[in-house]
Amino acid sequence: MIKSLSIVNLKNLLLIALVLLGLWGGKTRAQETNYKAYSLFIYNFMKYVEWPEAQSKGDFVIGILGDSPINKELQSLVASKKLKGRNIVLKKCSTPEEAAGCHLLYVADSKSGSVKALKEQTKDKPVLIVGEREGLAKKGASLSFVTLEDDELKFDINKKEIEQHQLKIASSLVSLGILIN
Amino acid sequence: MFISAALPAQIDSTGVPKDTVDYYEMSLEQLLKLKSHGVPTELEKLINSLISVASKKPLNIRESPSIVSLITEEEIKKSGARDLIDVLRLVPGIDFGVDVEGVVGIGMRGNWAHEGKVLVLLDGQEMNEVLFACNFFGNHYPIEQIKKIEIIRGPGSAIYGGFAEYGVINIITRQAEDINGVSVSGTYGQMEKDFGRRNANLMVGKKIGGFSFSLAGMIGQGQRSDRTYKDFSDSTYNMAGSSALNPKYFNAALGYKGLSFKFIGDFLNTTMRDGYGDVVKDGPQKENFNSYFSELKYILKVNDKLTITPRLNYKNQTPWQAPAYDSKAVYSKNVTRSTANITASYNLNRHINFVLGSEIYQDVAVDHTDSSYFINNKQTIGYFNYAFFTQGLIKTRLVNFIIGARFDKHSAYGQAFVPRVGLTKKYNRFHFKALYSNAFRAPSIENISAADSTGIKPELTQVLELELGYQVTRKSILTVNLYDIETKSPIIYYTSQDSSNTDLYRNFGRAGTQGIEAEYRIKDRWGSIAINYAFYSAANKEKVALYRTQNTSSLLGFSNHRVNLNASWNLSKKLSFNTTASLYGPRWAITSLDTIGNSVQELLKPTFLLNFFVRYMPVNGLSIGAGIYDVLNQKFSFIQPYDGGHPPLPGTSREFVFRLQYDLNFKSKSAN
Repeated sequence: MIKSLSIVNLKNLLLIALVLLGLWGGKTRAQETNYKAYSLFIYNFMKYVEWPEAQSKGDFVIGILGDSPINKELQSLVASKKLKGRNIVLKKCSTPEEAAGCHLLYVADSKSGSVKALKEQTKDKPVLIVGEREGLAKKGASLSFVTLEDDELKFDINKKEIEQHQLKIASSLVSLGILIN
Repeated sequence: MFISAALPAQIDSTGVPKDTVDYYEMSLEQLLKLKSHGVPTELEKLINSLISVASKKPLNIRESPSIVSLITEEEIKKSGARDLIDVLRLVPGIDFGVDVEGVVGIGMRGNWAHEGKVLVLLDGQEMNEVLFACNFFGNHYPIEQIKKIEIIRGPGSAIYGGFAEYGVINIITRQAEDINGVSVSGTYGQMEKDFGRRNANLMVGKKIGGFSFSLAGMIGQGQRSDRTYKDFSDSTYNMAGSSALNPKYFNAALGYKGLSFKFIGDFLNTTMRDGYGDVVKDGPQKENFNSYFSELKYILKVNDKLTITPRLNYKNQTPWQAPAYDSKAVYSKNVTRSTANITASYNLNRHINFVLGSEIYQDVAVDHTDSSYFINNKQTIGYFNYAFFTQGLIKTRLVNFIIGARFDKHSAYGQAFVPRVGLTKKYNRFHFKALYSNAFRAPSIENISAADSTGIKPELTQVLELELGYQVTRKSILTVNLYDIETKSPIIYYTSQDSSNTDLYRNFGRAGTQGIEAEYRIKDRWGSIAINYAFYSAANKEKVALYRTQNTSSLLGFSNHRVNLNASWNLSKKLSFNTTASLYGPRWAITSLDTIGNSVQELLKPTFLLNFFVRYMPVNGLSIGAGIYDVLNQKFSFIQPYDGGHPPLPGTSREFVFRLQYDLNFKSKSAN
């Protein structure tokens, strides 16, 4: 005879399966985020956004607020490229205060909550704030990355915020992104 | 500075050799090709596939708001599946049983779902016949022409209405762009004592700019079995020569930009001698199931946010057409359904989508015999139904929220309202789905005609589902789901207790099952392995005596435990070896009658169906396949999943299958 199995037992079975799964899969990884692609976009942001004359000399400083795997890719960028003859420098920041003096500030996913404070702190200063997490352009970043349903990598553009920071974005770059205002 | 480090394939797909390009100097147009994630594995390509069967708006499998299965063309071809039964029996929870007159129907999660409970769509056309709402399986539908099958293993009524109470099987055949030339194929199957099938397919299709056309056809002959059928009186007959399954099928499609026209003919000509259980004394009888389907559809993209799709459908069906035999009267009824549907999809933004639609249909049935009449005492009857449906999808960082509902009002049986709500989300390797759905089964025309004095109304079902999934490695994933199905006042067939033995339908009792399904899938360039387990119990649910067994957790016909395997190895670029297997736990069947004529139940032993198939592609476009189905010669039989007086119907004996396919002027595809 086939024994009956109550729904309570089914739930226990599921729980056990999940625990086993957690033990089994703990050291594995899922499909990796393509940070190389993110860094290519960032380099083009640098090329197609215009900073005021006073900030167009000397080293170009990219700040990274928080920890992000993009750090490795941006290190490769600064080691291999110049921006219109200028050296590119990478600056690691732990707090919004440390981000002063950056031309472009990349906000790692873990620091997304800092965007509002950054917006206030950098008000009227020529800094391009780029959010790793989707939706940050709506919260005060100049640009933020977004992954569409077919895995296409795009970016949101907060043009109002860019202009408030005395920056100009080229129309060719605007055509690649998604304007939110 | 040139970058020689390993780079994502999306970048490589620009076509520039990666050791000769400075990626930082890519043009803006090239940036448009970049993907958010690195090179997907074969498995990730599959689980990130977008499907729309469960939500109208395309979503990836892991976030689609139903428990879903996706079967690809590659899987079907590699497995050497003979027909849809071979493909679908590998899906957790799906099984098959015999109804009457040689007809094999579908079961879902332990429930007999043959009459109007599972919707089969082929290129968007509802294949269920409208008189009883059934589908017919076995050497039916052109397996060689299928591009993919999307399956909802749970309710779909909130989108699809009254034939989608327990599930939806959405078959999508290869369209003009997929065919892109000419394809011919042939299949021959040899059972132990007679042929199993001999089918031929032809497909032509091409897309030229905005214009596309395709024409596909299939003609064949098959047999349910070459074994001996024995009824409860020990009368027998040899099914070789008396269980024909002869399909004819065509599918013509024309498209220009958003406008499309489709015309499908589906004819299944059968012979049978099992009748309603007793061997037909008058010898083998012909029984035909013929349908025409047509659709005119226009997809109007009003702007980036709004799409409006009006469509008109017309189908004309003559199912169950059989002459008089023994004491049974001739059955010859024709039914048409004319449908108008308009659906609007509006993307408020990337995260919020609304779908709103309306549908009306009219059924007209005509009885071509002089011996029977519909409920209006005439030989023609018509019904009218209108429906409204809506769906909202909100995607947030934490969870996707979906809510939807459908309202139907029918001129004979009244209204049905079926809301649903669901939460889904994938978090890196993990995903979950929590779903609550109402569903209904619309009484069919013959249900209405044969309703007893209490009348007939839609049966209503509530389903709770929870799925958890975990991508164990980049090449493997495990999904586990629980479900609880409860059907109130199901529509039950019975025979009157007076001397007339009249066939009757009424709503009574409650039915349903609860259970668990788990699937582990590995997919890589070397091949793939998918193994799944399905369990159901009726212990707390089933109250309809017709379906019950001596064990309260088991229902007639369907084993409580099932394990399926589909494994494929790419031995070389040209050669693949495939194994499919189904292990059925013990199944309850009615195998005899006692001395006073009551049904005697028996627990049949477990059955292990094992199949091999080898596929060789010597040159581009040519595919040669050979295999053995039921290697162990287990002689599987289809059990009647209700106490209807029909002994188990033998299926095929061990069958050797040969298949040849040639595709001319196709786009070059990798041999995998």
